[in-house]
Parts: sequence; C-alpha cells; structure tokens
Amino acid sequence: MSEIAAAGVRPARRGGPGAGAEVSRAAPDVRRLLQLGLAGIWLLDALLQYQAFMFSSGFNQMLAGTASGNPGVVASPITWDAKLVAHHAVLLNAIFATIQLLLAIGIAWRPTVRVALAASIAWSLGVWWFGEGLGMVLTGDASPVNGAPGAVIIYALLAVLLWPADRPGKPAPFTAARAVGAPVARALWLVLWLSLAYFALLPGNRAPQALHDMIAGMEDGEPGWLAALDRGAASLVAHQGLAASIVLAVALVIIAAGVYLPSPAAKATLVLALVVAAVIWVFGEAFGEIMTGGATDPNSGPLLALLALCYWPVRAVIPATARTAPAPVAAVDEGTAAS
Amino acid sequence: MIPSWILDIFAAIMLVVAAVSAARLVAARPWRHGAHRAALADIDLAHLLMAIAMAGMLVSSLQTLPNGAWEAIFAVMTAWFAYRVVRDAQVSGVRALAGGHCAPHLIHAAAMLYMFMAFTAPAAHSSGGMSGMAGGMSGMGTLQLPLLAFLFALLLIGYSIWDLDQLSGPGASGHYSLAAARVATPGPVLAGVGASAGPGTAAGSALASAPADAPVAEAAGQAEAVQVPPASAPADGTGVLAPWVATSCRIAMGITMAFMLLIMI
Repeated sequence: MSEIAAAGVRPARRGGPGAGAEVSRAAPDVRRLLQLGLAGIWLLDALLQYQAFMFSSGFNQMLAGTASGNPGVVASPITWDAKLVAHHAVLLNAIFATIQLLLAIGIAWRPTVRVALAASIAWSLGVWWFGEGLGMVLTGDASPVNGAPGAVIIYALLAVLLWPADRPGKPAPFTAARAVGAPVARALWLVLWLSLAYFALLPGNRAPQALHDMIAGMEDGEPGWLAALDRGAASLVAHQGLAASIVLAVALVIIAAGVYLPSPAAKATLVLALVVAAVIWVFGEAFGEIMTGGATDPNSGPLLALLALCYWPVRAVIPATARTAPAPVAAVDEGTAAS
Repeated sequence: MIPSWILDIFAAIMLVVAAVSAARLVAARPWRHGAHRAALADIDLAHLLMAIAMAGMLVSSLQTLPNGAWEAIFAVMTAWFAYRVVRDAQVSGVRALAGGHCAPHLIHAAAMLYMFMAFTAPAAHSSGGMSGMAGGMSGMGTLQLPLLAFLFALLLIGYSIWDLDQLSGPGASGHYSLAAARVATPGPVLAGVGASAGPGTAAGSALASAPADAPVAEAAGQAEAVQVPPASAPADGTGVLAPWVATSCRIAMGITMAFMLLIMI
C-alpha cells in the first residue's frame, strides 16, 4: 500500500480539474482543520505582537494594568513581570512574538503538532496570569463582552480539546470529545459558558450604563465606520444594563446546556454560540481592536467561535485503537506519522 | 518603534526568497522551452518581484524602483493572476479559489498592490514616497482602509497555514511535493503530471485548461504536448526546482506580507 493510500487521501476525480495536479490532495479531517484554525489565530496573534506599540512603554503599562484589582498573590508577579518588560521591552517582546510565531508554525507543521500544542498550553497559562491578570476573573470586572475569562485561556482549552489522540471506546459524538471523551468535553464547555453567564450578571456589568460605557469605550482609535457601529450599538443599550445583562446571561446559559441536548437542538445552540461570539467580537471587542494598531490578540470572539465548531455534532468518529484497518486517517494526518 | 533589526531579518528572508526564485527561473530556462513553458514561469517571477519589493519596503536602503513602477508591476501581476484564477474556476469551480494554484498568488499580488497604493507616509517623510515606509513600519506610516489590510492579512495567514500543513503531510500532493509522483502514479503520463503539476507548471496549466469532462489521458496528453519531462527527470522537480521550494517561498512571503500589513494598520 502506498504511503498516500494509507493516509486516506481523497482520490482524484477522473478527468476532473487538475486530475494530475491534485491527484493526491490530502483530505484533512475535521479535527485537523480546527487545529489549522487554531494555528491561524496563533499566527495572527504573533504578528500583532510585532506591532510598534508592543515595543513601547504602552505594552508594559498594559501588563501592569492587569494587576489592578487582583489579589496580592496574583498581582505581585504581574507587577514584577511588567517591570521586567519595561527594562527589556525590545528583547522580551521580540521573544514573546517569536514564541507565538513558532507555536503557530508548529501546530500547522504536522510532525510537530503535539509538541506545539503542549507548548501552547504552557504558554497560554503563563500569559493568562502574567499578561491578562487571570482574565480579571478575580477582580469583579470581568465581562463576556470584553473578553472574559481571558482570550488566551481559550487557546489552552482548544489545545487540550484538539489534542491529536483518540480515546478508545464509544465513538466521539463531536470533535472536542475525541481526545478527552464526551463527558469531560461537555463539562469544560458547561463551565466556560456558565462562567460567562455569571460574569454577565456581576454588579459592575448590570449597572444601567455599564454595557453602554463598555461598548462606547471601544471607539477610540477605530476607523470611522467601526466607531459609528460602536456608537449605534452603545446607544441601543444605553440605560438598559440590567435587561441586556439578563438577556445575555440567559443566552449564555442556553448555550452552556446545549451540548447536553439531542443533536438538532445542540446544533441550534451552537449556532447561537456562533452568533453570540460574532456579536461580542464586533460590538464588544471591536474586532479585538486590531484596527487601532494596539491589539495584542484578536480577543475572545474568534476563539469562542472556533470552540463552538469543535462541539458541532459529527458522524461518529471511530477511535483509532478500535479499528482493525492499518494507519487510520486521523493518526497519520495529525502528525503521529512522524513518531 | 519596531526595532530595525527585526525589519532587517524579514528583509533578509525576502532577499533569500528572491535569490531562490531567481535560481529557479535560471534553472528552468523558460526561454528555451517555448511560449507555454515561459508562461509558466509566472509564479517564480512573481515571487522574485514581490520579494524584491518587500525587501525595499522593509529596509529603505534596499529600494530599487519608484513607487509608480511597483504599482504598475503589481497591477499587471494582479490582472494576470485574476485571469488565471478565472480560467481555473471555469474548470474546477469554486475549488479554484480555495485550493487552486493561482488564487494564493492573486491574493499576494493584490495585497502588494494595495500596500503600495494605500500607504500614507508620515508628514516628515511625505516627500520621500516609499522611502518613508521603512520608518513607517517603525510606527510612522499607516495604510488607508485598514479593514482591507486586516482582510488581506487574514487571507495570507490562512493560505500560509494551509501551505504549511500540506507541505508537511504524508499525503502532500504533487502541488506541494514530489511524494505524489513517487507513490501514486503508476503510469508514465501521470508520473509526469504528478511531478511537475505544481503551481504554474506546464502540466498544471495544461490540465487546468483541459475540459472538465476530458479523460485523464487526454489531459495528460496535453501536458506531454508541452514537453514536460517525466517525474524521473532530474532537471524538473528536484533540487531548486522542487515544488516544495516554491511553496516554502510562498509561505515566507505570505507571513512577511501579513506582518507588514498588520504593523502598518
């Protein structure tokens, strides 16, 4: 059997377009495509880290700002880190950006996908603490609309759920369940979205003008059309903080419970999750403020959307160990061929 | 300010890409293989020009041509690849946009054109045209229509990640590596196609221009008609002419271009 045949490559359509050129085009499975999505977001993150702003004092001030409101045991290391970055801004930021660039390339390069995913988990946890102040979840200021529980922790969660391994036993009902099993994957989803619902109802977020001020505050430095969009959205929720928070929380609870529902209902709640992620990204996060030139990452919107796709019901994925045929597609496609 | 040494590193990578692309052009000798073969050098020529232009944008001392000349060059290049994508789409439909050979090059060329046309030099450098861009990349210059810059960056990132995946996979196709020719081509006709049907190669073009319902042999016959040597021929598809070399150049350029777009938003 040829290497390509063993890899489960899609055969060419006879006489079809590029019959020769694409005769052996690889057909990555869904999990591999999601891994590539994660790699793409890491690459975007890395390139944003190379922006001029990140080499300025603004970056370490941003880091130091995340210590505010956190308990001392959390805040002290952040303050130390911010001072360190202030003294070696160019070197450290270049290292940070390059690490993220290597993570992106490592995930996209099949033989190194495991190493890169493992490294991304460690890196994400470090950045979550030292760069995002644990997503401000301990400060009372966290809001799902502005990126709670911290975009970078969702990178780590995705790395775990997209780990290139399959649990033996029952077929996985969705991609996220392949590595950790359906119960654990569902529990992680539930915790994440319920925590978002909880944050939406925090006193600081349900105040009459809280949501309005949060959205209106994104205008600075944005292009005119995006600033106008933000102004329009902000005016819609002016003095409606409590009602908006309740509506958002209800939607988030429905999303949280969705993965426990039968497939059609689960799909509907995942679509809702995609819509909520898009609304948060556009109106709450202003596309991660990328167009201001000062964004360190695209924020949580795209990551929540990618996460929702990981839970999309699929035809049962048979674990590799349960198969009798040699060299299952998933194993070869996701870098295990090199091991 | 972005440290100049970071820009220097990216510029050095672009010079390597330019050198490799030039070497590919010389090694392929398109001028000695008729009009078909010459037309297929477009990918390497595009890589060469884009890499030189980007090196000049990153480091002002590496500038070669005036802005107007680059705009004209990339306008022509964009039109050429748009034409080729349309041709591909006539054969393979929307797949030409997602996985075709020319769509990434169209995006690259259009992004270059956009960068030259949308660059706004800072006041202190306004008389220097693109000479202000190196400084601009350190925080002094910006691009008009930042949403377009962001969208181009996303597309370039997407293609680069996809190329990396395909380049490293055991199922890498002839479009990316020689693996297809080694293991999946029982006959001499397909072997030739598989080995050299990379972006812009004769076989790829012949197949792209073949009718959708044409038999494989017929399409492959067209490939042979333009005198593409079989997979075993060392002069085509190995060494510097290996498809993975062109794909690697494209990855390097895609990432560098996305970097430039994002830091000038």
